[in-house]
Amino acid sequence: MAELEFIHVNKTYGGDTPAVRDLNLQVEEGEFVVLVGPSGCGKTTALRMVAGLEEISSGEIRIGDRVVNELAPRDRDIAMVFQNYALYPHKSVYDNLAFGLRMRKVPKEEQRKRVEEIAHKLGLADMLERRPAQLSGGQRQRVAMGRAIVREPKAFLMDEPLSNLDAKLRVQMRAEIARIQKALHVTTLYVTHDQVEAMTMGDRVAVMRDGILQQVDTPQHLYDAPANLFVASFVGSPPMNIFEAAVDADGTRLVFGETQLDVPGRVLREYAGRRVAVGIRPEEVREASSWDGARVRGSVLLVEALGAEQLVHIEVAATPLERADLVDAAAQPPGPSLGVEDLERSVTLLGRFDRHLLLTPGEAVEVAIDPRLLHFFDLETGLALPTVDAPLVAGVAG
Amino acid sequence: MSSVTQIAPTPVAPVVTRPRARKRLRKAGWNALGLLVLVVMVFPVYWMVATAFKPGHDILSYTPQWFPAHPTLSNFTDAVHQPFFWDAVKNSLIVVSVVVALSLALAFLAALALAKFNFYGRKGFIVIILGVQMVPLAALIIPLYILMSRLGQVDKLSGVIVMYLTFVLPFAVWTLRGFLLGVPKELEESAMVDGATRFGAFVRILLPLVGPGLVATSIFAFIQAWNEFIIAYVFLHTPEKQTLMVWLASFTTLRGTDWGPLMAGATLCALPVIVFFLLVQRRIAFGLTAGAVKG
Repeated sequence: MAELEFIHVNKTYGGDTPAVRDLNLQVEEGEFVVLVGPSGCGKTTALRMVAGLEEISSGEIRIGDRVVNELAPRDRDIAMVFQNYALYPHKSVYDNLAFGLRMRKVPKEEQRKRVEEIAHKLGLADMLERRPAQLSGGQRQRVAMGRAIVREPKAFLMDEPLSNLDAKLRVQMRAEIARIQKALHVTTLYVTHDQVEAMTMGDRVAVMRDGILQQVDTPQHLYDAPANLFVASFVGSPPMNIFEAAVDADGTRLVFGETQLDVPGRVLREYAGRRVAVGIRPEEVREASSWDGARVRGSVLLVEALGAEQLVHIEVAATPLERADLVDAAAQPPGPSLGVEDLERSVTLLGRFDRHLLLTPGEAVEVAIDPRLLHFFDLETGLALPTVDAPLVAGVAG
Repeated sequence: MSSVTQIAPTPVAPVVTRPRARKRLRKAGWNALGLLVLVVMVFPVYWMVATAFKPGHDILSYTPQWFPAHPTLSNFTDAVHQPFFWDAVKNSLIVVSVVVALSLALAFLAALALAKFNFYGRKGFIVIILGVQMVPLAALIIPLYILMSRLGQVDKLSGVIVMYLTFVLPFAVWTLRGFLLGVPKELEESAMVDGATRFGAFVRILLPLVGPGLVATSIFAFIQAWNEFIIAYVFLHTPEKQTLMVWLASFTTLRGTDWGPLMAGATLCALPVIVFFLLVQRRIAFGLTAGAVKG
């Protein structure tokens, strides 16, 4: 039985374009589901509808076995962590933590016991008498978490709780929230715009865009098999390389620039003589010397050393994706270098290489690509085509 | 050797001390100016209090008496025994307490609507609230007098109360709106998710947080209503119905001004405002910053 369920949920503000369109999503008991998407995609609206802070235009939201559409927030038995923590500035940490219990008329003794237990667990025991203004960002964050936990609600709702923290603290709290959620086994719906947060924390990740749910799956499956161009470009950091390519008349060969790739299997048969969008993850773009797949020639634009590895921008001859509306614009790498004569026909390929490989900008390189690891998408709809699962045909010419 | 050590510091020393001395001088100049402003502002108040304790011949002497050399309380007894003093006290207290209570209640609700709800004409309303405060009161006295006399509100405390509200309310609404905007809406939402009703969230979260704003507004309303003279002077004719400020004017007659009792009366009139301010000033000092800083 799902603990939290959206059934054909719609939300419209004042008759314009809907904020959430026909959302269907189930969160199982004890599951951690992350709603992720660029800003304005409707994820926060969806969360606020569960909390009862936003009315539902049509559809049904269930918590446990109850339809909660008409219930006031306080009757839904949920706890919410807000982006700005929303701590009560005039109350001490103790009173902040105890507020929900007091509202629910829990006996004083029980209140004290539970608050102290939570404070101890979260390392807040020494600061129960302080006001929120006297706490650091991380401590405020923990009080906000504690206020949600202490009530022992049916579900946690979290609205970008880490976005106000600095990068280091964010990584630390990320792990802490995930740990607490696992320990308490509470159904959690978590909203973020940060796909790294989504991938690292969620049991399952739901990607939203323009109010429409794009795909729900485990982080790994989302990464390996994105359902469409948007998910492909949104999930993963650095993002997937995406460009256009032509399929030859037989539907067995992919042509872009001077490169010809044999695509085994029957995936591209339907697209014979047409064009498709092709995607490849940066870690699958490999140095040609150590691998004998298909070759792609290009020149190095930029080398970004990350310490353990290096990110190499390689300019190759290919057609950039024309339908920019199908991908996540924010995640795309900068365009090819200026001064290249045929801008239309060159694409920047991001490659993740071993740090020992010595590359300098301007240098000509050859990279190897495994056709089995390519993702194909329809250029009209942006939907993913099945990937190649046939064994590799060695020695494909480049 | 000794000549070297003596000579070496001399060229350095003036370079270091001169700007420092200039800085100190400038600081002293600013401090002196500040003190001068203080004296200019405090002196009239001091003169009022000092005169109140002086006997008549000291007040009228051609050489100024800086301190009351022969302090006396006779001016105060004269002032208190002046006709209609207690009527005026009663009237002032009625006017002030009704104006403060009504303006707080009305302004808070209006500010709540302006800060938290979206409705047609909200922007226009805010502009009007600012705009009406720019109209000089003196320009309105005659039309208002005609209006109020048609409504039968001349020479009545209720009329004066309504008049005071018209110029206390815009400011109060504006101030409280600022305080309410300073409270993030997530606080109320969080309280509602935590189990409070909408009204409960309002009482437990919003009200304590805008408390300082209410205090600031009440001080403003109190001072305005207590100190107001022109409207009360124009609208209240019969002596039993006048407020304290109008009563003070009764010391000036065709035969001259009775300075001693007037200053004693003025001192007595200033007391309630000062006492009220001292009572709530700790809250207002906190309130002025709480409105400005988020959370």
